[in-house]
Amino acid sequence: MSVATAPRARLARRGGWPEALTSTDHKQIGLNLGACSLFFFLLGGVFALILRTQLAQSNMQVLSDNSYNEIFTMHGSTMIYLFVTPMAVAMATYLVPLQIGAVRLSAPRLSLAGFWTWLAGGLVMESSWLTADGAGRTGWSSYVPMSNSTNTPGVGQDLWVIGVILVALGLTAMSICVTVTVARRRAPGMALLRMPVFTWTALLSVLMIVAAFPMLILAMTLLFIDRTGAGHIYTGFAGAIDYQDLFWFFGHPVVYVMFFPYLGGAAEAVAVNAHKRWFGYTAFVVSIMMFSALSMAVWSHHMYTTGGVTNQYFAFTSTLLLVPAGIEYFDMIGTLIGGAIVLRASMLFALTFFLQFLVGGLSGVFVASPVLDYHAYGTYIVVAHFHYTLFAGSIFGFFAAAYHWFPKLTGALLREGLGKLQLAVMVIGTNLTFFPMFFLGNDGMPRRVSRYPTHPEWGTLNLLETIGAGIIALGVLIFLINVIVSLRRRIVAGDDPWLGHTLEWATTSPPPPLNFEAPLPPVRSYAPLLDLREQQLDRERRLEGAPA
Amino acid sequence: MRGGAIAILAWATVLLVLFIGNWIWDAKPVNAATAAFAAVVTYATGVALWLARREALRPGPPAPRSEPESVPQSSLAAVLIGLSVGTILFGLAWANFLVYFGAGILVLSLGRLVLELRSERATRRRLLGEEEPR
Ligand SMILES: [Cu+2]
Repeated sequence: MSVATAPRARLARRGGWPEALTSTDHKQIGLNLGACSLFFFLLGGVFALILRTQLAQSNMQVLSDNSYNEIFTMHGSTMIYLFVTPMAVAMATYLVPLQIGAVRLSAPRLSLAGFWTWLAGGLVMESSWLTADGAGRTGWSSYVPMSNSTNTPGVGQDLWVIGVILVALGLTAMSICVTVTVARRRAPGMALLRMPVFTWTALLSVLMIVAAFPMLILAMTLLFIDRTGAGHIYTGFAGAIDYQDLFWFFGHPVVYVMFFPYLGGAAEAVAVNAHKRWFGYTAFVVSIMMFSALSMAVWSHHMYTTGGVTNQYFAFTSTLLLVPAGIEYFDMIGTLIGGAIVLRASMLFALTFFLQFLVGGLSGVFVASPVLDYHAYGTYIVVAHFHYTLFAGSIFGFFAAAYHWFPKLTGALLREGLGKLQLAVMVIGTNLTFFPMFFLGNDGMPRRVSRYPTHPEWGTLNLLETIGAGIIALGVLIFLINVIVSLRRRIVAGDDPWLGHTLEWATTSPPPPLNFEAPLPPVRSYAPLLDLREQQLDRERRLEGAPA
Repeated sequence: MRGGAIAILAWATVLLVLFIGNWIWDAKPVNAATAAFAAVVTYATGVALWLARREALRPGPPAPRSEPESVPQSSLAAVLIGLSVGTILFGLAWANFLVYFGAGILVLSLGRLVLELRSERATRRRLLGEEEPR
């Protein structure tokens, strides 16, 4: 066990908010980041509902064109920069040290400073609403020349750009801490190939952040310089392509940052609820290493139709992504086969994550093909595709993780009944909202428009989507009620309510300041607690079989 | 610590191979520069870990840590650094005085950070001193 000899009496006592806000305990930093992300999730959700209200029928007058641009920009930006990505980092910051048996995070001050930089970025970005010219309004990708000061003047767009820079700085700092922690603080016995599945997914996510997010900072800094009039960097066609190259060098990997930790969470939930160790562990590790590296080498597939990239190479690497993705599904099925499966809310969310992500993944095969992408580009097919990966996929993975680890974070169980109700409601809402988008897109409905031609079929499909969005909101509301009810009228979880496999279940719920008070169990595989239980069972069997 | 750099260097190598492929088929200067940057950052992380401790490249499970460390419980300096960076950049878009204000806070918080780190080091030295007689 790691030895930290700081006197216990001097460690922060939980309670007061000044302690909570300045704490260098990775659990507190993770909780703070997670809680703020969740708040932004609700905000981004409200933006989505406003968008869907405008689109419910062909000529609704809820929003002006300009406000529509602001709302869809801030919906995407809030969800990506302020919820799904930071929530992934929050999960890594909270869980990774526990899973690897470390008593603390490396460089916790850097992580804390990163959290505050990120939060400042979020507030700056949302503060663009308060400006006279309105919020950021050129999409989450903010393409040049649309986003330059001639086409989108005003301080609101400047604040959006600054917000993105701060967010990227903060998350990069926090990711460095997780990377170093995994490298330096694993418990005795925990060789690399004994790290839990979630830890692997988190490690690769933070590596992608460290390698790719600086390009976002660079892209946005240059855009800001251009906007102030101090430079002429992104000029002409070449400038527009350069911006996109820089942006998508970050923009594709971030999709995987928004996927891996949720995949890891769902995988842990599947393994624990099947009472089996994750099947094909080594293949899984190798495959997600390939998966994440490949995802750093596909960025130009967002630019097929610009004529400024080599489509063949990027189509090749993009299609290659199928191989590691297939291995993950194979492993998931292998874990289920022969398992003693318990269909808890976490398990159901995890299985739904895998099923619905399949729709997102398979539609990705289509848009990875340049020929088909010329048809799909800029239409609702793309919107359907990435909402199936990010919402139907990652968000369901997030809820799987939430139901799985909430007891560890709080010491209380979430209500199973409400969880299953939430799942049912959200499955209906999600598919009602996003599946019709495939038909609309295939029919040529462009994305990012506030009005569309009056056409009976389009009207019906859009109305269905709007109803679906309302149903999703209901699902999220059920989750919030569940959290409040479960915290108010607590059902005590105990240290290890699910018979977990990994070290975080070997400590109290919530864990103490230095994570582990009792000595850690020996680590001989990636499921040390399962090893212990199997040994115990073996011993009991041998005693039963032994002559009296 | 043991083996910590291996995964990172392995990943960096896969990246490098892919980026070379990218360079062969799509030799654009911007792409070469971004890819090179990512590969260099990843390799540098691995190498830094190896320089900190050589066992970072040795495979196998880590051994128990024996050296004591002092664990910080909170850091006002870190909070202020984050917020002052935010203030400076916010000021660039909003009002210049915030840039100076933020820079002032940043300098003060860096000063406080030095104090925090020194007291942490002192605690550690005291712990080491207490351990020695044993
Ligand atoms: Cu992509």
